[in-house]
Amino acid sequence: MKAACHRSLWIARITFLEAIRQRFFAFLFILGAALVLASGAVRVFDFGHSELKFLADFGFGGLFLFGSILGVVMTAQLFFAEIDNRTALTLLAKPLSRAEFLAGKFLGIWAVLGVFVLVLAALLAAMLGWRAAELAQLAVERRLAPPECDLAGLALYASLQWLRLGVIVAMVLAVAAAARTFLFAVVVGALAVLAGQLQWLSQELLLKPAETGLGHAALWLLTHLLPNLQQFNLGDALVLAPHQVTAGTLPWVFLSGVAYVVAFLVLATFLFRRREI
Amino acid sequence: MTAAPAIEVRHLTKDFRVGLKGVKLRAVDDLSLSIPRGQVYGLLGPNGCGKSTTLKVVLGLVPATAGEVSILGLPSATAEARARTGFLPEAPYFHKFLSGRELVRYCAHLSGVPSDRVEAAVEEAVALVDLREAAGRLVGTYSKGMLQRIGLAQAIVHDPELVILDEPTAGVDPVGAAAIGRIIEAMRARGKTVVLCSHLLGQVEQVCDRVAIMDKGRLVLEGAVAEVLERRDRHVLTVDALTPAALAAAEAALVAHGARLSAVTHPRRSLEELFRELVTGSRDA
Repeated sequence: MKAACHRSLWIARITFLEAIRQRFFAFLFILGAALVLASGAVRVFDFGHSELKFLADFGFGGLFLFGSILGVVMTAQLFFAEIDNRTALTLLAKPLSRAEFLAGKFLGIWAVLGVFVLVLAALLAAMLGWRAAELAQLAVERRLAPPECDLAGLALYASLQWLRLGVIVAMVLAVAAAARTFLFAVVVGALAVLAGQLQWLSQELLLKPAETGLGHAALWLLTHLLPNLQQFNLGDALVLAPHQVTAGTLPWVFLSGVAYVVAFLVLATFLFRRREI
Repeated sequence: MTAAPAIEVRHLTKDFRVGLKGVKLRAVDDLSLSIPRGQVYGLLGPNGCGKSTTLKVVLGLVPATAGEVSILGLPSATAEARARTGFLPEAPYFHKFLSGRELVRYCAHLSGVPSDRVEAAVEEAVALVDLREAAGRLVGTYSKGMLQRIGLAQAIVHDPELVILDEPTAGVDPVGAAAIGRIIEAMRARGKTVVLCSHLLGQVEQVCDRVAIMDKGRLVLEGAVAEVLERRDRHVLTVDALTPAALAAAEAALVAHGARLSAVTHPRRSLEELFRELVTGSRDA
């Protein structure tokens, strides 16, 4: 077990080094950071919402959108780079199991996404902290209640987003393990992420008594097989209104996220098991 | 009890499905081979004859359609068997952002070399392939010959009992090919079994103890190099200072004994020998 972890960590290390050298990663990384920083300049266009919510939504949007794109494209790209460049041939001829290889790929890509989430969350925390302090000062002068902004909640939200990206990476790895081309893996992976984002709709439809037979079965499958990626979006509740999050919500979201990561990695290993390299 | 052969292939068949209709293409057809330990074994054949597919099945990279394969007495698809095997694939590609030394170190960790032995194993492998000076350079800057040599280093860094080399001299100039030949001989001297797939038949003849020739997925010939190349019905005499009179006398003597002199020629050296003689010391550094 120790040797298997050692090998997986080496695969992860090289995958991480390969990923951070990609121009695509640098491009989305800079774009995401620029979006968060730009929110300070355009906060006057807050459309009547709370200014802090406007800033937070910019940051949450950047994390969600660019993180998801990075998760799907980078996973498919790094997986197929090993297959198409035939480096997998050299690696899998060593005493390295396919499960260890996939686990290493997952950890390497997830670590890169961790850096992405950490930097964007730190920038967002700086923006929110700076503006929240200014608004609190104004509120004191006007004898109003200061706006709520919980930076510890932001750290929790960032952890949730990192876990959500982990689910996406594991899901795309499962798709890539069965796919023949990079493009197919990206398209199907993106569709799976979209379906996961809309999974709550199937949950609601399933509760309606009108759905019977085949439709009901399809909804049941969709609801139980696909992760509900929407459940990780607790940003507003965690950062701007912390008391709204019920006690059992966070452990449930964390546990289900971890369970989906494990399930998708097991599926990926099963699909990759007899693939011809 | 005798030790199991280095590789034992029994009735191996491998079919690929190609196209949308899944048309069956037989790459290897009922192949049986036994590769003894401690020898250099040449696996020869034209492109598409099933050599590389056979090697991939041996290494567990491709599942067999039928038949059994074992490495050193172990089922070939097991990690334990692969831990005792080194592999250099055809036209190897490595991560360009790693230096040669980093690549070999990475492979050492994946191959199960104990952490406290890794650095010594890396240096030993790099020295064996004569890349010590260039080992700090990025792999992306290597020439083809150097890539093959660093590929060899990653294949042998864990000191495997069996080394499988798929076209190690492809695209390499004669000097580089000769260097690879010397490395193979050094491995044999250390008691390793080397399986060599190559189109450089001259080199195969020089370094291999046994050869197998495949065509259209089937084994067409197998045996010791000396045996399969020898023509036992003919003889060659190499004579120094042969005068016309001596030649005529020798021919008459042969005829008197019922033999026939069929050709008198000068011995030739190979172009490779001539090239290596002229281009000495040149390396692709």
